[in-house]
Amino acid sequence: MTRLLNLFRRRRDRLERDLDRELRYHMDRRVEDLIKDGLREPEARRQASIEFGGVAQVQEAVRDTWIWRWLDALRGDVRYAMRSLTKSWGFTVGAGAVLALAIGANSAIFSVVNTVLLQPLAYPDAERLVSIETLWINTGRSSQDVSGPDFLDWQAQSDVFEKMALSFSNADEAIFLGDRAVFGNGGYVSADFFAVFGQVPSVGRLLTERDVPADDDAQATAAVVAYHWAVAHFGSDKAAIGKTITVYGNATEIVGVAAPGFRYPGATDIWTPMRPTNHAPNRSDHPYQAVGRLKGNADLTRAQAQMRTIGDTLARRYPENRLKRVTVIPLQERLTGNLQATLWVLMSAVGVVWLIGCANIANLLLARAAGRTREIALRAALGAGRGRVVRQLLTESCVLAGVAGLAGFLLASMLVQALAALAPVNLPRIDEVRMDRPVLVFALGLSLVSTVLFGLVPALHGSRLSLSGALKHGGSKATGTRASARLRSALVVAEVALSVILLVTAGLLLRSFQTLQHVDLGFTKDRVLVADTVYAVRDGVREDLWSRSRFYADVLERLRAVPGVSAASGVAFLGMGREPRSPRDFFIQGRPEGRAGERPQAELHAITADYFKTLEIPVRAGRDFDRTDTPERPQVAIINETMARTAFPGEAALGQRIRQNSRAPWMEIVGVVADTRWQDPSQPSRPVVYAASTQGTGNSLAILARTSLDDQSIARTLRTLMHEANPTVPVKFETMEALFDSTLAYPRFRTQVIGLFAGVAALLAAVGVFSVLAYLVGQRTREFAVRRALGAGAGDVIGLIVGQGLRLVAIGLVLGLASALAVARLLTGLLYEISPWDVGTYLGTIAVLGSAALLATLFPAIRAATIAPGTVLQEE
Amino acid sequence: MASARFPIPQGTLDMLILHVLSLEPAHGYAIAQRVQQISRETVRVNQGSLYPALHRLEQKRWLKSEWHQSETGREAKFYTLTRPGHQQLAREKASWDQLTAAVRLIFNEGTQA
Repeated sequence: MTRLLNLFRRRRDRLERDLDRELRYHMDRRVEDLIKDGLREPEARRQASIEFGGVAQVQEAVRDTWIWRWLDALRGDVRYAMRSLTKSWGFTVGAGAVLALAIGANSAIFSVVNTVLLQPLAYPDAERLVSIETLWINTGRSSQDVSGPDFLDWQAQSDVFEKMALSFSNADEAIFLGDRAVFGNGGYVSADFFAVFGQVPSVGRLLTERDVPADDDAQATAAVVAYHWAVAHFGSDKAAIGKTITVYGNATEIVGVAAPGFRYPGATDIWTPMRPTNHAPNRSDHPYQAVGRLKGNADLTRAQAQMRTIGDTLARRYPENRLKRVTVIPLQERLTGNLQATLWVLMSAVGVVWLIGCANIANLLLARAAGRTREIALRAALGAGRGRVVRQLLTESCVLAGVAGLAGFLLASMLVQALAALAPVNLPRIDEVRMDRPVLVFALGLSLVSTVLFGLVPALHGSRLSLSGALKHGGSKATGTRASARLRSALVVAEVALSVILLVTAGLLLRSFQTLQHVDLGFTKDRVLVADTVYAVRDGVREDLWSRSRFYADVLERLRAVPGVSAASGVAFLGMGREPRSPRDFFIQGRPEGRAGERPQAELHAITADYFKTLEIPVRAGRDFDRTDTPERPQVAIINETMARTAFPGEAALGQRIRQNSRAPWMEIVGVVADTRWQDPSQPSRPVVYAASTQGTGNSLAILARTSLDDQSIARTLRTLMHEANPTVPVKFETMEALFDSTLAYPRFRTQVIGLFAGVAALLAAVGVFSVLAYLVGQRTREFAVRRALGAGAGDVIGLIVGQGLRLVAIGLVLGLASALAVARLLTGLLYEISPWDVGTYLGTIAVLGSAALLATLFPAIRAATIAPGTVLQEE
Repeated sequence: MASARFPIPQGTLDMLILHVLSLEPAHGYAIAQRVQQISRETVRVNQGSLYPALHRLEQKRWLKSEWHQSETGREAKFYTLTRPGHQQLAREKASWDQLTAAVRLIFNEGTQA
């Protein structure tokens, strides 16, 4: 491309130099003549330049003639291209569609990649925003969860951050607006939070140091709400200012509305100020997330080095920090890190489709160029230079690519919408994805590259024809050169090989997805309705806690009485599809307490009686919770088999006592239940301790109901029932099935999109095989006619063509399988219990491509076999 | 006769250039001088139209150009009439003759009436 431009530039420079010399010569001669006529030199010079008029104007006028000539030739070329493209509209539509598809798919995927991965986060100086995280040296992994005391130490000892802030989020809180309650995602943030993100409010003001409660007992009085939330509940951002919202019984005044689009952390609706707890025991509690803005003179490396030193110091000083260090990660990387695999796989897949598309187009154009041998030879004979012919063919490709680029862009706009609809809802920034200027540039760039790629090769090829040869052979059926036949075969082989890679990838993802879908969860997910609720209570107010317990007991009691409901229960933490819960330490009665990191760890879930019955989780030993498990009775617990195995190897777990810390009451293990994959079907079960929610201070519960009724009607019944018990409790309905599906959103997205691309690739490869063979049959019609006339059967001719086609496909398959074996290793992280070298997938790919290719060879073969020798030979 | 000098229409200039070059190859300055001399200084060639015309004619392949030494010893760009250029000149002369004859007829008609 640059070489072409340089060539262009050099030519222009030479023209300019020439013109300059020519005009100077004219001037000088005139001056000489005037001096000869008796004028003195300065006078002569003045006279000459008056006569000449402006040199610049003359130059400009001359340049105009150059441009006009160029435009004239271009117009001619374009007109000619249009004519020849419309003349063979079958070719044009086919090639255009292939190209538009390739460009459209590429631009659409690039739009998503561009927005989600490449565009900086939509905050001022976003590249200086970092996530400051806890690095666990026993696992080598960093976690966003940090403890309050740690954070305060980091803040005191570091100097690389302009600002630092803590936040924690609490999704789906009940927010009271007057007497009604709605769901809202709460964000609790420290003083500098909005400053870290460089935010300005839409209206009002943002939270600052003076809004933070003075001590642990004080309550926040101010809140900031998200723009969309203000509009949804108050009509506009301005209308929200001064309104009172109540969260957990604590009334706050809305003092500001954040700028539209700002939702950090997660999808926060309401921000309230908080003071990070600094009590020593909280060093092992990691509820917060820390963000910081690097100082202008501090780069990431320096920040990491400093925080590593601070982490080492804290690890020496506090026993709780023995296994903890600190790490700094760019915020963008933190937010998009786990998507990169998915998106880059999509990007590569779509790139491969594009390559196949280009090979296809090149093939079509090559075949066409060969078919036009006579036309081109004629043009050359009539005096068109080689450059002229190349330019002619190139213009044709350009016109085609231009139209296809436009069509591709339109297609991409539609695909982007489809992708946004198909993509997992929690794909960050998916709502920001749209076709924009970089994408337009990308689409046009792609069509340009395609042009050069597929336009230049046939153009050079087509012009390297021997005139006499082409003219002698007569008809448009002149045989293409051997070289061009080889090139076309090579292109088909490449197409087949590339589509093998895609088909293998798609196959592996599909098998992995199917395995995931049918993984044994340890519970029965169908026919379970989930009602997520929040019962807001004021902190530490006994009556509130009591009325909450009564509310849930009441609702569950009445739900169980509904005909068609076979079991109903509640669970405090709805696992499926949510962020995993961090495990906590447990102490076992009669054993040394041990040090942090050495005690058995387990997730703690508060549930009601009948939870196991509702989800059909087998009870292996002991009993379920029941109505006798009240706060007054001894605390009891049920553990899963993994916990029983890891914490009590070789001994009976029933009857053992465990507790969460040295002040907590002992809980007696009264039951052991089967393991479940409650959060993520791809993750094996972790140790779990179940506590009876009726024995603690209680929680807001998600209500589960196993039912034979349809979802809608049971949801309606439950809503009425809850409304009667307490009209202010907000509720959201889902089915366990749908929650399970949402955990598979990413694998499904990957599988669907790659599967689609693989299908397109296989189709394109088949079209490639078909077009090459069809062309070949056209070229050799005479030969086949002669063969038939000399006694060859239809089967012989079919065998000849099919054999030729399948040879190409076989070479492509071998090359493709070899590359796929190499590429598949990169997929390991995306596969669940499927080896990247899964034999079935590879065999399946061979079967699919083989049969598609066979089909593609059959049509031309049958055509060749049905040639009537008499007619053809007569024609000649 | 200096006051009677007038610029000439473009089509006519093209024809004059072709004619001058049909006598012998010449560079731009010489072409301008010759047109002026032959027309006894009546026709004045404007540089602003001469050079664009030369380049246009060259692009139509009626002229070709070459750099070689001029009568003063300096390198100058010499234009030569090509075969298509000769044909073009013949065509233009023919149509010019027709046109002038027609105009003359009309004028004579006018005086007779």
